[in-house]
Amino acid sequence: MSRRLREMLAHPFWQAALILLAAYLVMAAIGWASAPVPKSVVVQYMLSALAGVLIYVSDNEGRWRRFKEPIHRTMVEPDRRRLRGGLLVLVPVFVGWVTYQQVRPKVSAPAALRSVHPASPVQITFRGKRMDLATLENPLRQSGDLQQHYAAGRRIYYQNCLPCHGDLLDGRGHYAQGFNPTPLPFDGSTIAQLRESFVFWRIAKGGPGLPKEGTPWNSAMPVWEDFLTEDEIWQVIIFLYEQTGLQPRRLGAGEGERHD
Amino acid sequence: MTDRVRAGLRTSCERGRWVPERALVRQWRELDDGAAPAHYSAGRDPPAREPDLRPLCILAFVVVFGVLAVPVAPAQEGAANARGKELYDKWCAECHGETGAGDGAAATHMLPRPRDFTRAVFQIRTTASGELATDDDLRRIIDEGMPGTAMPGWRGRLNAADRDAVIAYLKTFSTFFEGATPQPITLGRAPRGTAEGIAEGRAVFEKLECFKCHGELGRGDGQSAPTLTDDWDQPIHAADLSESWNFNGGSTVQQIYTRLRTGLDGTPMPSFSDAIDANVITDEQLWRVARYVRSLSPEEPPRPRDVIRAAVVARLPAGPEDSAWAMVEPAYVPLVGQIVVKPRWFGPAVTAVWVQALHDGQTLALRLTWHDRSSSPDPAWDEWLGRMRDAMSDGDAPVAAEQGPDRLHVQFPVRWSDDVERPYFLGGSARRPVSLWRWSSDGDMLQEGTSTGLGRFTPAAAGNATHSARYDRGEWALQVSRPLVPADSAAAIPFMPGRAIPIAFFAADGSNGEDDVRGAVSAWYAVYLDVPAPPRVYVAPVVAVLVSAGLGLLVVREAQKQAGRLNRREG
Repeated sequence: MSRRLREMLAHPFWQAALILLAAYLVMAAIGWASAPVPKSVVVQYMLSALAGVLIYVSDNEGRWRRFKEPIHRTMVEPDRRRLRGGLLVLVPVFVGWVTYQQVRPKVSAPAALRSVHPASPVQITFRGKRMDLATLENPLRQSGDLQQHYAAGRRIYYQNCLPCHGDLLDGRGHYAQGFNPTPLPFDGSTIAQLRESFVFWRIAKGGPGLPKEGTPWNSAMPVWEDFLTEDEIWQVIIFLYEQTGLQPRRLGAGEGERHD
Repeated sequence: MTDRVRAGLRTSCERGRWVPERALVRQWRELDDGAAPAHYSAGRDPPAREPDLRPLCILAFVVVFGVLAVPVAPAQEGAANARGKELYDKWCAECHGETGAGDGAAATHMLPRPRDFTRAVFQIRTTASGELATDDDLRRIIDEGMPGTAMPGWRGRLNAADRDAVIAYLKTFSTFFEGATPQPITLGRAPRGTAEGIAEGRAVFEKLECFKCHGELGRGDGQSAPTLTDDWDQPIHAADLSESWNFNGGSTVQQIYTRLRTGLDGTPMPSFSDAIDANVITDEQLWRVARYVRSLSPEEPPRPRDVIRAAVVARLPAGPEDSAWAMVEPAYVPLVGQIVVKPRWFGPAVTAVWVQALHDGQTLALRLTWHDRSSSPDPAWDEWLGRMRDAMSDGDAPVAAEQGPDRLHVQFPVRWSDDVERPYFLGGSARRPVSLWRWSSDGDMLQEGTSTGLGRFTPAAAGNATHSARYDRGEWALQVSRPLVPADSAAAIPFMPGRAIPIAFFAADGSNGEDDVRGAVSAWYAVYLDVPAPPRVYVAPVVAVLVSAGLGLLVVREAQKQAGRLNRREG
């Protein structure tokens, strides 16, 4: 390490600059590694870092004088005229640019708040038949051969659901990008948190059957009641759980509340 | 089993002298510069070998049939790779079929159809035309999927060993893989790209008559496009070369070049390796074609954005071809088949509409462009419509027998306040209708009115909008202009600057069997009419610059004065 560099590192002014740079890089790394950090949080954090740095450099009289020295020299010394001039131009331009970013007209999409799993109704009517969702269970789990139900459900899924929900059941079929909201993935924890009766309601009544908070006008989910029979919907539900290896949420002992 | 053997044998016979495609062969014959040698039109081999081939095929038939008729074969296939079979049956069979014939339950809702493994003909390969695919070729497709089709990449779902097991299993569907070790062709390095290179690429594109299928501007609208079928007699579109994100084999120059060298077996797309061997073109020129083809698409695949911006201008463009539109960045709105209400449509022809918007404080002008391979109805596409009828009628109702017009619908809510509730995105509903602009190529008509669901349209008594449309080489461009405040604001939405207004689109290609329900739809987007920038937008930054510069100067001046005083005192 050269002597010059060591001197710089020992100088409070450059130490302060380095600490601020490091503080900013930490924020950038967090933003890069996980979710982007909101701007206001970055600003607040950087202001705290700046306050800390100022306390550090002014804490001791000698350090404070050394800290101010390069700033003072830049403002005063004749051989730093170029740097001084440059800063006097660049800093105001930067301030002007930031101001412009603040006041320029911004475009935003109309507000669209959406609840992903809105509460289901207590009762639905499926092709004229009343169903009580709180107690409804998949009847095919008690009758017939599960493998046959799975195979039938698989055929129904591939003929109807595939374009949106996809081969991988990840909600990213080849039609998925055309719709907003994008189709529900089944491979995460979505259907594992749901009771089969809830899934039945969502399939049978589709997008238009959602309550307001689910933005029924946006959903491309068809009303499958118009296409599939009751048994076919239960079969496709069996397929969804079997294919992903997930278990539906069931009413446990002492759990009388409906899950939303 | 005999059917399978016969099907396989037919391919093998064709493979002896693999003929790219009837239409293209005809084109080669028509090459008037005489550069292609006479035998080229017959395929890869010189004519001298042709007569010998038929007896050979018969002999092969007898031998192969004899071997396969022994009932041992299938048992071996199954036992060897139980894991591969289990995974294939679970994840692949519903499209590709339990016997690998590409006839699974989902197949009839897909165009292109899922791959039929029994014939061992593969589009995306690194081997010569007519050869099998290598394991690496198959692996690449399974790992990464095929853009522009329903085939996804499986990396996230199956681990490497499982994917290998599936590859081994799907190869057992055809006897051609037994003992075969297909070899990739050697591909040279790409020559350096230059602007002249792209121009030369275009010249070679024309020399090779790529436009006959792909169209002059590459939009898949060539003269032969309506006649194209694949080896399974299914209708197949000539690729729209301006949408590289839908290229089945990938969108890099290297990938495009590889497709040019190997051809897309099973489709009408031939290999141009022979054209190089026959000194019709050089290898370098083929690279330039690849580079030219790539240059027809944007560098990055377009991403849909929620808001389409309408800037304020002093004078609105006069029509869709007005050069003023060149300054406005088009917003990409992807469209997908209408598969929500009956009759559903799994074979849409229009993949996207590009939207530009401007307003002048009085009128809003929208320019909509979309690729459509024909201006319907077009008699040249009757044959195509017949094939679509055969291929895609397995939906909820048969496809129309007659070609309808091309259509584009633009939809807004009838009323829009800041409550977030909107009409149903699919043409509205009885409770909340939408206001609709229905443009049709039949007489170039624009109707305004309201809709209470797809296909349920009520025309308005009087219209407010004016329009102008033109069709040019595979693309429609439509400009619609409407006063911001309509004459009858009960029937149509007023457009207010400074507000984002929901907007949605529907497109149909009549010669593809589409109508006002069967077509391609979009989700809700929004169009935002810019407000003329208030003065503070320009004043505030200037004030900020002046104040900070003034403060800076003041601080520097003070510091210098103080330093001067100090110096004098010391001095």
